[in-house]
Amino acid sequence: MSNATQFYVTTLLIYGAVSIIACWGLDLQFGDTGILNFAFIMFQAAGAYTAAVLTLGPSTQSNPLSNYQHYVFGASVPYPVSVFAAALVGALLSYPIGVVALRRLRSDYQAVAMLVVSLIATTVVISDTGLLDGERGLFLIPKPLRDSADTLLGYQWLYVGISCVFLAVVLWVIARISRAPLGRSLRAIRESESAAAALGKNVLSLRMGAFVVGNMIAAISGALLVQYIGSWSPNGWLYPETFVYLGAIIIGGAANKLGVLIGALLLPVGISEGVRYLPSFGGPGFVDAVQFMLIGVLIIAFMWFRPRGLVPERRRTFGNPRWSFRRRTPGAGVATAMPSADEQGLAG
Amino acid sequence: MSLILPTIGFSLISASILALAAVGFTLQFGVTNILNLAFAEVMTSSAFVAYWVNSRGISIWIGMLVAGLFGAILSLLINRWLYRPFIRSGTRLFGLIIVSMGLALIIQNGVLAITGPGFFTYDQPHGLAFDVAGIRFTYTELAILLIAVVAMAAVHLLLTRTRLGKAMRACSADSALARCSGVPTARVVDIAWLLSGALAGIAGVTLFMNTTAFSVTTSGDFLVVIIAAAILGGVGDAYGAMLGALIIGFATEFSALFLNSAYKTAIAFVILVVVLLIRPQGVRAAFAAAREVQT
Repeated sequence: MSNATQFYVTTLLIYGAVSIIACWGLDLQFGDTGILNFAFIMFQAAGAYTAAVLTLGPSTQSNPLSNYQHYVFGASVPYPVSVFAAALVGALLSYPIGVVALRRLRSDYQAVAMLVVSLIATTVVISDTGLLDGERGLFLIPKPLRDSADTLLGYQWLYVGISCVFLAVVLWVIARISRAPLGRSLRAIRESESAAAALGKNVLSLRMGAFVVGNMIAAISGALLVQYIGSWSPNGWLYPETFVYLGAIIIGGAANKLGVLIGALLLPVGISEGVRYLPSFGGPGFVDAVQFMLIGVLIIAFMWFRPRGLVPERRRTFGNPRWSFRRRTPGAGVATAMPSADEQGLAG
Repeated sequence: MSLILPTIGFSLISASILALAAVGFTLQFGVTNILNLAFAEVMTSSAFVAYWVNSRGISIWIGMLVAGLFGAILSLLINRWLYRPFIRSGTRLFGLIIVSMGLALIIQNGVLAITGPGFFTYDQPHGLAFDVAGIRFTYTELAILLIAVVAMAAVHLLLTRTRLGKAMRACSADSALARCSGVPTARVVDIAWLLSGALAGIAGVTLFMNTTAFSVTTSGDFLVVIIAAAILGGVGDAYGAMLGALIIGFATEFSALFLNSAYKTAIAFVILVVVLLIRPQGVRAAFAAAREVQT
């Protein structure tokens, strides 16, 4: 491969990894637990801003990076710490929002509450320019571990490696949750809140748990992305971006890790890259608009023709041999989904 | 003191626009129980139809009528071709929100693809300002106020004086019971969509008339303000929505006296969060008793 191709491929791989991580995080909430988190992109942004502020250095006169932009609480922490801090901020932010949005409201009211939170966050960040540099956003964010690679291309491959490490860790976490009794409880809540509550599950705290973990994963994806692209501004996390991730999950197949992976590669990455190869036509913004329209059409088409996605959620049954091969823990493969759930698709 | 009177004027105008939209939103939400995320997009597309009419040299008032008609038909078609088939195939609340989200993406970006990202203005009469009780209104503002009052009165008469209004209130309170009592619910739902679309179209035009220049994204965040007014008043309750519009109109405009005016809409969002926390049934208790918003 020529250098240019390698550069392109590595960039795509990094974008793909970020998108898959984010979609897995959202799927833990949407697919497994049935939370319609319209504020998801805000948690990704929270992670990104945290990682940016923690690597830009202190916001004092002597720091050349902070002369052109304003931000609070600057620091330069060593590499993986910034990502962990991002995850922590994502988790801490989830609690107050979860208290408002996850109360026992109808799911459409919950969705509205999330949407509002996302809008408030955008308004605050744009209006209060001293906080995170307002509409302009943060830029010149240092790349982590830049010195460990000699060439720019070498660094690209290094970052692909870093992304894959995070991808593997996130997959391990969500796969564990999904396989554990916890995952079964989450799916039970998705199918019927009242039935789960009647069986003694603490619905609110379980939903909160899924909400917090999903948002931590979102924050990690944001941190990973911002340290690669080096800038972050409110235009990158307006609320329709959440719809793109949701669309990816619906197309891929909610509550199926492989399906979500395929969706994450097809929608956010595939469509924007596919459009790149089209001859340019229309006025400014036309191609972007068509891209979003296409996402809308795909969402509705899949909801109608294939509501369970390209790779539907696997039916977990007791007698599935693939399960009994791997682990013989009692209860690991007990049927979870209630029969009606398969017929209903996403409903509930 | 000098700022208070003009602020009351601004508040009344904001409240009028918001009331038109919120009543339209709440009528449809109440009767069908679908959270229509594409409502603001119906407003935008209708307002651009009015712009197209207006740019042909026809008065903006005619344009507003055309926009109302367009909004009504668009909403009806959305119900017939999109929501109704989905409901019949067994999609429930959760899935319908996602469908409406996809629809919002399609309409918003469809309009964007046609109009481009630029800013537009209506060719509207500028002319005189009038003094009403010490508050200065422009001709356009007075007209908006008048349209809102007439529309609210019409909705009031429809809901209280006609059989259709009675049927709509019945569907809103308990759709299954209404069907059992012989109300043709499918037709009532269609009419609710028509009415809500017409109000959305008119509200869209008034919203854009009241801004100096508008673009496709002007009404983007407005949806949440509408939802705030509707939920504050109690979903499905037209009078509640009017009250909610008044409260939010005054709260947002008066907040600009004390706060950075960039936070104007954020005040509406904060009100919505507080209402969802404390009283998701809305402020009007009698109506709220019939509705189930907490699972």
